[in-house]
Amino acid sequence: MDYHFIFIQLFNGLILGSIYVLLSLGLTVVFGTLGVVNFAHGALYMLGAYTAYSIVTLLNLHFIVAILLCPIIVGVIGILLERFLISKLYKLPHFYTLLLTFGIMFFIQDAIKIIYGPEGEPFNIPKFLDGAVNLGFVVYPKYRLFIILITGFLAIGVWIFIGKTKLGAIIRAGTDDSETADALGINISRTFTLVFGMGAALAGLAGVIAAPTQDVQPLMGMNFLVETFVVVIIGGMGSIGGSILAGLIIGELVTLGIIFWPPMSTTLIYIFMAVVLIVKPRGFWGRAAFFE
Amino acid sequence: MMKKMAEFIIVLCGVLFWLVFPVRAADTVKVGVVSVLSGPLATIGNGEAWSAEMAVNDFGTVLGKKIELVKRDHAYNPGVANEKAKELYEKEKVDMIVACPNSAAALAIAQQALLHKKPFISTSAGTTDLIGKQCNRYVIKWNYNDYMLATTVGLWGAEHLGKKWYTITSDYAWGHDLLKHFTAALQKKGGIHVGNDMVALQTADYSPYILNAMKAKPDVLVLLNVGPDTTNSTKAAVQYGLKKTCKIVHALLFEPNMKGAGTEIFADDYVAGSWNWRVDNPGAREYTEKYMKKYGERPHFMAAAVYSATWQYLEAVKRAKTTDPEAVIKALEGHTFRDMFANPGYIRPEDHMQIAKAYLLRAKRPEEVKEKEDYFEIVGTVPAEEAYGPAGQFGCKMKGF
Repeated sequence: MDYHFIFIQLFNGLILGSIYVLLSLGLTVVFGTLGVVNFAHGALYMLGAYTAYSIVTLLNLHFIVAILLCPIIVGVIGILLERFLISKLYKLPHFYTLLLTFGIMFFIQDAIKIIYGPEGEPFNIPKFLDGAVNLGFVVYPKYRLFIILITGFLAIGVWIFIGKTKLGAIIRAGTDDSETADALGINISRTFTLVFGMGAALAGLAGVIAAPTQDVQPLMGMNFLVETFVVVIIGGMGSIGGSILAGLIIGELVTLGIIFWPPMSTTLIYIFMAVVLIVKPRGFWGRAAFFE
Repeated sequence: MMKKMAEFIIVLCGVLFWLVFPVRAADTVKVGVVSVLSGPLATIGNGEAWSAEMAVNDFGTVLGKKIELVKRDHAYNPGVANEKAKELYEKEKVDMIVACPNSAAALAIAQQALLHKKPFISTSAGTTDLIGKQCNRYVIKWNYNDYMLATTVGLWGAEHLGKKWYTITSDYAWGHDLLKHFTAALQKKGGIHVGNDMVALQTADYSPYILNAMKAKPDVLVLLNVGPDTTNSTKAAVQYGLKKTCKIVHALLFEPNMKGAGTEIFADDYVAGSWNWRVDNPGAREYTEKYMKKYGERPHFMAAAVYSATWQYLEAVKRAKTTDPEAVIKALEGHTFRDMFANPGYIRPEDHMQIAKAYLLRAKRPEEVKEKEDYFEIVGTVPAEEAYGPAGQFGCKMKGF
């Protein structure tokens, strides 16, 4: 039993976990507040990666510029989608918005295919983050440490925002009881638009950060879409803390599977989800189940 | 009276149309191409459909009949491939099906070919089961197989790159077949297989597998995958510094993926191929130029194989003076030909494998790429008999006719 090696693998599992956390934060916030199942979330992640490619490679700007700009750009796209398409279907049963976001996903993917071509784009680690760092127990790629750090900051940031700021309180109020919040003078539709934009921005940011480590191609969002939904369900729809915890657990679970039982590594996620749902049907800290 | 007259004329026209239609259909030779035309592997599959189209257009007519091409997308799924093959043979009444990447899908179409007693020329799948346990007389295996890949790059690699191999395998039929052949090739050269990881198709994060590989300290990392999985696994190997300490060998590597990921990732990697645009075959340059002009990218060897297979099928129809499946297949068995793809190519009657020279390719470093998408250097040639081994070695018992 090589504990040293297992520890390295588990440390590395934090990367996968971080991507899941970033992706599921955006999804759970939209899910919990708007009740919208955003199937286009993976496509927004992919948009973040392509925007990063455009900024860094086509416009020749620094990677930091991409990290700051891409979430804003994807967030604005999200706001436009919500304002002009998704909000029109709020009064209808949930599966209408589900179908709409499903369609939006295909539209975005094909649009990117037409504009950029289907093979994908080369996107490598920026020079200032390239190379490895000796952490004592392992020599680890600098960029991946960067991923863990950024995700950590972001997770704390979102938690503070939702939990401790006035705007966050408004969002939580809108989630719990949108009619009362509306009656108290809060502009609920503007809040919803903002939340959707935030979710899109988080997905876009995940895309920027993940792009150097992966194949940037129009369908890259599909690799994570299903697992992201699983993370959100396990963590509890609408729960920030739940997403963070569940994202990290899932990342580690997949890694453990790869070490000990490789063919089952992705199946373990679903077994875990089943077990969690039997014990806690709303996930860890879910507040409102989807179909209630 | 007038109404009855009108009705009669309409029915008469309908009957005449219905009579004329099948007659017109028999005046054309129909070729069906099944490939992956959607999803991330479409960047490879599109080339196969385009090549089939080019071959059909370039050939013109055969036995005085027009040639029609029908395309179907199987989305890299064996179940869908099975349905499309059935539809092509039964409803569209194609005379032949060509291409089909994905070994499980190709095996499914091979069964449909036997059932419908019509030819299937498998250019794109690698499994040796097609010329082994699951061979049948209606299937001709064109282009390459996993044994040839393992023998061409595997034997050379075990001798020149290193004896300790770590394999990362895509967990489906093709990956398993590759693993079988590559480990056999490694053993022949006295190498050691230090470890293997089975990875689900379309995995994005290969870092845990690369960490596994690094622990085993291999001389050679063998990536038994294709498309985005190849890109992701290679990218991870580069980022974790594994590429600094060992060489990388691929099962398959295609120009569209190299362009998409950036050539610096694949620099100095090795792979086997049955064709490269620079080979000294009659018409190879012309084919490449025409393809590039029409489709904007350089053809990969699967595309070239489909062009050749479609062309040689039509030549066989000409030789046999009929589209009757048995006659055409007999005209292909034991046939030697020279075209842009194989110079020469020979179709073994024992197991229906089309054999030709195999090439050992090195992926160029970015600074070495002088012409558009000219990503490979041919560093070696393996004669056909050595690359493909003895005829019938996989236990083919021909059934069919």
